Amino acid sequence: MNTFFEDFATFAPALVGGLRISLLLTGASLLFGLPIGLIFAFGVTAKNKILRFVSVFFVEVGRGAPALVLLQLMYYGLPNANITLSSLASACLALTWTTAAYSGELIRGGLQAVPEGEIEGSEALGMSRADTMRFVIIPQGMRIALPSLMGFAVLLFQTTSLAYSVAVPELMSQAYSTGSSTFKYLTVFIAAGLLYAAISIPATWLSVWLEKSMSKHL
Amino acid sequence: MTLQPVTVTKPVVEVRHLAKAYSDTVVLRDVCLSIPAGTVTAMIGPSGAGKSTLLRCLNLLEQPDSGEIVIDGHRLTAGERVNPKDLAALRRSAGMVFQHFNLFPHLTVLRNVSLPQERVLKKSRAEANAKSMELLTRMGLADKADQYPSRCSGGQQQRIAIARALALDPRVMLFDEPTSSLDPEVGVEVLEVMKELAAEGMTMIVVTHEMAFAANVADELVVMADGGIIESGPPRQILQDPQHERTRRFLRAVLDR
Repeated sequence: MNTFFEDFATFAPALVGGLRISLLLTGASLLFGLPIGLIFAFGVTAKNKILRFVSVFFVEVGRGAPALVLLQLMYYGLPNANITLSSLASACLALTWTTAAYSGELIRGGLQAVPEGEIEGSEALGMSRADTMRFVIIPQGMRIALPSLMGFAVLLFQTTSLAYSVAVPELMSQAYSTGSSTFKYLTVFIAAGLLYAAISIPATWLSVWLEKSMSKHL
Repeated sequence: MTLQPVTVTKPVVEVRHLAKAYSDTVVLRDVCLSIPAGTVTAMIGPSGAGKSTLLRCLNLLEQPDSGEIVIDGHRLTAGERVNPKDLAALRRSAGMVFQHFNLFPHLTVLRNVSLPQERVLKKSRAEANAKSMELLTRMGLADKADQYPSRCSGGQQQRIAIARALALDPRVMLFDEPTSSLDPEVGVEVLEVMKELAAEGMTMIVVTHEMAFAANVADELVVMADGGIIESGPPRQILQDPQHERTRRFLRAVLDR
């Protein structure tokens, strides 16, 4: 047991370094993916055919294709088209796509769940379509979508472990290389799992707390 | 014998030959209506008669298929494209109160009443809040200003909705079964406010099942059935001596229960 903790302490710097990359990748994918997702949320129901077609295409492919396929496509596939990205950039691009696709559908669901009566109430007051969107539909729709978006963010954080397959030095790949140089796979993967859990579990608590506190007066 | 002075005022609302159908179901057939300023019109009739649809057509929450609507000089002809400016002007002239209040649950009571003033009338936050507080005080709800609607009773919520609509200084108030989702006791609070409004000379069109309100407050009673107006006139006259068989049947059902 003592050796477990000693090994744990030895591995910690490399693993924590990897964890930072995992968090960076999660954060960047959310930063770019959520605004694009908001655009997709409107795009898939847009009257404009081109906008709708493009949105549906990216949403369906982003949700239909496994994240691992998108990661490999961006890192190993794009160079064939003379686009070469660093491992981190290609992973970020792939996971941004996944995030935009899933969050687009979650946000659309939230916007559509805003009761029709409130929209009519706003229209009957003479508020413009844009004002109704800005002051009634988006604030409430985002509130409705937020718990599932937080749940998605936790899943995305865990999905970043797939980026080890495109040489991103994140937590999973740090664990893997530490394991292969020390052969203490059991210890190192338990440690990696604990680090993933140390982020995911409190994040889940946070989302539950946020959901409760935001729906207090609804 | 003294004659009551007859004041002929220009109608605030005029409806000409309004018709609407959902595919095969006709909901409004050739409805004509003229509402003079300062009068209260109660609309009664069995459900499915088209009362709510008529009211919702007046501010274009529903699109009529044919006919014409004039509210406070804003003319709308069915089938013609309405530009957003005219639509906004028309909706500002006609304040609407819904059966289910339709307040914004994510905003405080004060914000509910102030936001439309800021966005539609382009008032400053301070001006809007001053007007909101004046109206909320009149409704006896000044202490609820910082609460959220869900913390208010149904009767309070409906009065907030009335304040929200009044804040835009409408020329006519449209009430779509304002007490139907309230307990009878709570509904009384709302009816009191409506009576006050009527006494102040607000032009009102009220779709309702409150026969006492229709009899005592309304100047004109409109009976609708099967998408059309079958009878209209002074409430007492219609309630005591209905001319139409369909009216008799409806009144028996609501009064003799």
